Amino acid sequence: MPSHFATLPELRAALDAGDVTPTQLVAESLARERARREALNAFARVRPEAARAEAAAAAERIARGAQRSPLDGIPVAIKDVMVHAGEVTACASRILEGFVSPYSATAVEKLEAAGAIIVGGTNMDEFAMGSSTEHSVYGPAHNPWQLACTAGGSSGGSAAAVAAGIVPAALGSDTGGSVRQPAAFCGVVGLKPTYGRVSRWGLVAFASSLDQIGIFAHTAADAACVLEIIAGHDAKDSTSLPEPVPAYREALTGDVSDLVIGLPVEYLVEDGVDPEVLAAVRGAVDELARAGAKVREVSLPHTEYAVATYYLIATAEASSNLARYDGVRYGHRAAGATSLTDMYFRTRSAGFGDEVKRRIILGTYVLSAGYYDAYYRKAQQVRTLLRRDFEQAFRGCDVIATPTTPEVAFRLGERTGDPLRMYLSDIYTVSANLAGIPGISVPCGFAQGLPIGLQLLAAPLEEATLLRVADAYQRRSSAHRAHPPEPA
Amino acid sequence: MSVHPRYEVVIGLEVHAQLRTESKLFSPAPVTYGAPPNHSVHPICLALPGVLPVLNARAVELAVRTALATHGCVHERSVFARKNYFYPDLPKGYQISQYEDPIATGGWLDVPVEGNGAARVKRVRLTRIHMEEDAGKSIHDAAVVGSEATHVDLNRAGVPLLEIVSEPDLRSPAEAAAYLRTLRSVLRYIEVSDADMERGNFRCDANLSLRPHGNVELGTRTELKNLNSFRFVEAALEAEIARQAALLDDGEAVRQATMAFDPATGRTRVLRLKENADDYRYFPDPDLVPLVLSPDRIEAMRRSLPELAEEKCARFERDYALSSAEARVLTESRALAAFFEAAAAAHGSAKAIANWILRDVLRALRERDVEIEASRLAPEALAALVRLVDEGRTTSKSARELVPELVERGGDPAVLVRERGLEALSDAGALEDAVDAVLAAHAEDVARYRDGETQVLNFLMGQVMRRTQGKADPSAVRSILASRIEREDEA
Repeated sequence: MPSHFATLPELRAALDAGDVTPTQLVAESLARERARREALNAFARVRPEAARAEAAAAAERIARGAQRSPLDGIPVAIKDVMVHAGEVTACASRILEGFVSPYSATAVEKLEAAGAIIVGGTNMDEFAMGSSTEHSVYGPAHNPWQLACTAGGSSGGSAAAVAAGIVPAALGSDTGGSVRQPAAFCGVVGLKPTYGRVSRWGLVAFASSLDQIGIFAHTAADAACVLEIIAGHDAKDSTSLPEPVPAYREALTGDVSDLVIGLPVEYLVEDGVDPEVLAAVRGAVDELARAGAKVREVSLPHTEYAVATYYLIATAEASSNLARYDGVRYGHRAAGATSLTDMYFRTRSAGFGDEVKRRIILGTYVLSAGYYDAYYRKAQQVRTLLRRDFEQAFRGCDVIATPTTPEVAFRLGERTGDPLRMYLSDIYTVSANLAGIPGISVPCGFAQGLPIGLQLLAAPLEEATLLRVADAYQRRSSAHRAHPPEPA
Repeated sequence: MSVHPRYEVVIGLEVHAQLRTESKLFSPAPVTYGAPPNHSVHPICLALPGVLPVLNARAVELAVRTALATHGCVHERSVFARKNYFYPDLPKGYQISQYEDPIATGGWLDVPVEGNGAARVKRVRLTRIHMEEDAGKSIHDAAVVGSEATHVDLNRAGVPLLEIVSEPDLRSPAEAAAYLRTLRSVLRYIEVSDADMERGNFRCDANLSLRPHGNVELGTRTELKNLNSFRFVEAALEAEIARQAALLDDGEAVRQATMAFDPATGRTRVLRLKENADDYRYFPDPDLVPLVLSPDRIEAMRRSLPELAEEKCARFERDYALSSAEARVLTESRALAAFFEAAAAAHGSAKAIANWILRDVLRALRERDVEIEASRLAPEALAALVRLVDEGRTTSKSARELVPELVERGGDPAVLVRERGLEALSDAGALEDAVDAVLAAHAEDVARYRDGETQVLNFLMGQVMRRTQGKADPSAVRSILASRIEREDEA
């Protein structure tokens, strides 16, 4: 039986050699989920019977030597925000409690077609709005390294599931850092591809122009493997990119001597960043320099406006995207309404949590007549400036290195009363979503016993370069080989 | 009412025409009419979590075609926007429409209108044309005792519409109606829309204001919603003119409002005042990329446009020597124009065929409330019928009697003439006998004719026609009659 923290190639080799069967892997994954359920609350739900049946089918394929892909027979998890035909997808919201989708997200379909076995849907902040997986109808997810701390958010469940060795890979969604931040907090790799690289069909929308499906895994190489499977143009998503999907794994040469790493002066200020985090990130960049990469400073002058811009655009889009949850066709409908307006009011008051309501109200305000120009239009203009910052910066470097978060995982409950402070923890991640560029968080050390994330950013569609640098770093570092304590 | 004595009427129209596509604007669900509720739907139409819109390329083509046919400027880049409001038949909580950047702006429509008793053509300018999706339908159970339920049918949700907005160039309800008829004809011509008001795929809202004659500044306008039948358009506008005029006469202000017309009372009433209007929070739909049309593609669509009504009308006047009024009627629908051209080609005389269509065929169609394409009358049959008259094998009167039957049941005119015994009385002997009998019976009238009352000849002709049960060829009768009277004169 391979380790719970085995990489995808290790699992592939073990499966193909007959050392382990998909049935055993799935059983182990489900048992581990069950054992850690109370401690971690990483999963919204599991599907043991379906997973076992799919494992049996995968076992039969592998026995015949008819593997569908490197993922065939390997258990994975998806975030509760992407629909899966016949399964409940609730987005951790009361308003979608028990909602069964008649169709699957494209990314989910691609995983299934590749033979991956989806063991369940993971916990998250309601409608992916949050940075701590505390705004969930299922209750908070916990950080496997320190259970009193957050796993991050909004894809905290997926991050915790991979970090705790329940599944070797999981999907999340990243609108402002919701893959990279929990990856950093939980000590795993978190990849957010270029906007439009992975189809959004079936990804329940939070902010359509920012949302992107991302990947959690132990290594950059594993993330590359999953990305090859789920990326690509989709006629069902008008914003998906038409470019062919490269063989990302072939780009992982370990060689970075031809690359320039940019350090943005605006991100590496002492102010507001945990010195241990800063030191770990600088140490990681030094390691890449020793491997031959050149390092230079770059400037992203509009960085200070990124968080404000993000919260204007994201909430505006969310206020419209979430209008469909009205109790008319599906999901929660409050009883006892006396009129149509009353039905909307009761349904949405009871169905949405506080953070979602806060953002709907903010977004509605931002789009209102008389405020649109001052807020939404202005934010779009700043967004263009932020994008230009990156275009300019990438003329002088191949990847940009920053901390993923200013601090390591904070304690659960610490920030729920202070939304603004919670929003500011997204400061290093939101720019990539606004600019539509790919980003990855890679474990690069520990502070106070909690993982630190190195964030690397690249130009649009430069996932291969991004993964090459991340992989090269992991070949020379050990942070990702440490695993959270097993329960006694 | 033609011209209001005190106020000039200013009307602008917003027409929603359903585009003739197989599937919806952003979903593969089929566009159907009369399907059971919620049977023409797809997860996209239901706004299920996670769905995304994909623009129907055919709808874009039809929109561009409309803009080109109305001389509009097609924009190389247009943007879909979300119009946000809550209603149970609006599944997403927003309608995808075009707002700041529509697919086309400008253009015009030449509308035949009556003015000072004479027909003339009025150029009505268009403001813009844009694409949007229709909402579903709410069905209230008010008729069911004890039930207050409302049902939602989403078959129509997402059906592609074209909104065509005119400038406030119309000056009377009659002009507004004429504009709508012209627009409907254009949309049918270019096969963009069935434009059938009764089926709800041609709907109209009107903006109406009054100003004292001679004033340049526009008065406060109201918006009349859902003028969904040609019958009501003029009545609703007249009613709103009367309401606004009464207010202005009393020195009161017209308040900006959305109005509805109640056909039962013949009056308009306020639905909501402008100050209570919704804020639709428009913003570009982030699920869709801007619609970009290359100049080459627009040019290709221009080349593929069919001949338009006005071009066809001009051609008919020129090539068939028709009056402009005749040409306009014959080109009102593409099917009628095609029927005319086929019949004229089969017969040889376009003028004769035009007369028969304008006089007899259209009446028969109107009486049966059918369009030419639904009638059984073949163009070749009309040509054959007219030829029977030309050759004197039947009379014009008999032939005209056959038109309604041909429209209803079709058939070969020659066979029908024979079966009905409608052959013209061409036997010269029989005709002369009839004339002689009439002359003998009306000696006094013959005498009056000889005294110079030449109009008596018409009376005598009528007597001969009656005696021959209308089967005689009138020109033959006239010449026999004239020659007989004059011969006796000489005797």
